[in-house]
Amino acid sequence: MTTNPALVESPTVEVDDVSKWFGQKVAVSNVSCSFGPGVTGLLGPNGAGKTTTLRMLTGLIRPSQGAIRVLGVWPRTSPSVYASVGLVPEEAAVYPAMTAREYVRYAATLSGVDDAAEATDRAIDTVALDDAADRKLSGYSKGMRQRAKVAAALVSDPQMLFLDEPLNGTDPVQRLHLINLFRRLGDEGRTIIVSSHILDEVDRMSDRVIAIVDGRLAAAGDVAAIRGAMSDIPYRVRVETDRERILAARLLEEALVHGVSVDDGVLHVETDDLAALGRRVPAVARDVGARITSFRPEDASLESVFRYLVRKR
Amino acid sequence: MKPALAITAAAVRQILGLRRAIIFGLAALAPALVFLLTAQALADEAALDRFVAMAVRLYFPLLVPIVALIMSASALGDERRDGTLSFLVLRPIPRSVISASKYIGAVLVAGALNAFGAAALGIVYGIDTGSWGMVLPLVVGGFVASIVYAALFVPLGFFTDRAVLVGLAFVLIFENGVVSALSGLSTLSPWRLGLSAFSGLANGDVAPLLADNGLANLSSLGAALSWSIVFAVASVMAITLVLRRRDLA
Repeated sequence: MTTNPALVESPTVEVDDVSKWFGQKVAVSNVSCSFGPGVTGLLGPNGAGKTTTLRMLTGLIRPSQGAIRVLGVWPRTSPSVYASVGLVPEEAAVYPAMTAREYVRYAATLSGVDDAAEATDRAIDTVALDDAADRKLSGYSKGMRQRAKVAAALVSDPQMLFLDEPLNGTDPVQRLHLINLFRRLGDEGRTIIVSSHILDEVDRMSDRVIAIVDGRLAAAGDVAAIRGAMSDIPYRVRVETDRERILAARLLEEALVHGVSVDDGVLHVETDDLAALGRRVPAVARDVGARITSFRPEDASLESVFRYLVRKR
Repeated sequence: MKPALAITAAAVRQILGLRRAIIFGLAALAPALVFLLTAQALADEAALDRFVAMAVRLYFPLLVPIVALIMSASALGDERRDGTLSFLVLRPIPRSVISASKYIGAVLVAGALNAFGAAALGIVYGIDTGSWGMVLPLVVGGFVASIVYAALFVPLGFFTDRAVLVGLAFVLIFENGVVSALSGLSTLSPWRLGLSAFSGLANGDVAPLLADNGLANLSSLGAALSWSIVFAVASVMAITLVLRRRDLA
């Protein structure tokens, strides 16, 4: 039994000390992890190396160092493994002159699906594109194109699905539909790897998260464990006031305040107890005659989560 | 077989949109139109002379390469630029099937447009002189040249976004400049291989006229066909190798 949260017991996809560099730029550095049945979120800010990692997993690009195995083989040299793989890339990746039905059927034919027409209808139905299936993809919204790409990936009934920012451009209804679909596919025992830079999305889709920051593995495990690990960092609050230095000095005397800093006339306060700070700051401001114009937690943003993960490394 | 046919059909559709079909279909008629306007009331001998001049000055060295370049360069180049290459290569089919199907798609489109232009010129000549023996040789010549051009320009389109510029430089500087000066290199000139096929199939009156136009050292029909096969096979192998070895995103 493995104790490394980046590894799973029965992996279908294995990443072994993989690095990728493009000239002088290191996109992914010494990443080791594995994926198994269920939905795994590949989380990271834009430019973290998620897309590069997914492209390596599918064999679109080769690792500069290390090894990748999908169902025990490197896909680039064993194309037959693609019968078990579906990819939804982040970029457009659709043929604008085709209708969605033609596009999905083309995918079915290339994947060697026996009854391509029947499989196409089923895949289109799965992503709820029936009404627009005979319209050209050039007239589709980004969200509809995303669904067409998901249908094309699903048409061969793959055992593994690699999804690069699949919810981009989708409206809330489509988003919920796709999230439920991915969860269902994961529950069916398929390996679903979903990349996203939106923590909430990953949280809703995935049982397990691999977080990548600056091309490195920053955290791994289930979402609750990662959140729990982050509870040791203080919240950071941005306070805009006309007397920032006086207020900063006074707040430092408060037990619930861990630190303060003033940057460009803005006061930043660190605390473990956000709610208590929210109650205390107005009182202290009144005491020193300061007027508060803004009080906003900075740590609600994903960037702060990633900053934490980077610091932790 | 099904995936190969599907890729070829999709390639044809992708390369030859309606707008392109109209523009290049009309462009392909240019040699026929020029012949029609300039060969009125000429004697048969002079008409043949004018017909050959159209073939060696307008059809083979300009129309055929430009049509083949634009069509072939987009066969894989558009897939790379549009991000659809991943859709194609992440399938359980050998890369050689993908490259061969794409190549065949490019040849079919470029060859069909060039054959259309050749047929139009041959038909106009036939109407003018009553001699219809030039249609088939010119169609075959245009198609052979298209096969060789596609062999060069399909990979070129994959490697660079400036394929049209590089291709034009190849045609205008290398083929129409260097090879014209060094006739020993004529097997490296696709349009001369096409012209060789035309010359080999046309009647004996054509060869002296080609020589008068500085094209005496052409290959035989067999050699032209052999070279076109060599170019085609080498191209498909090269594309296959690239799809196997190169990063594709």
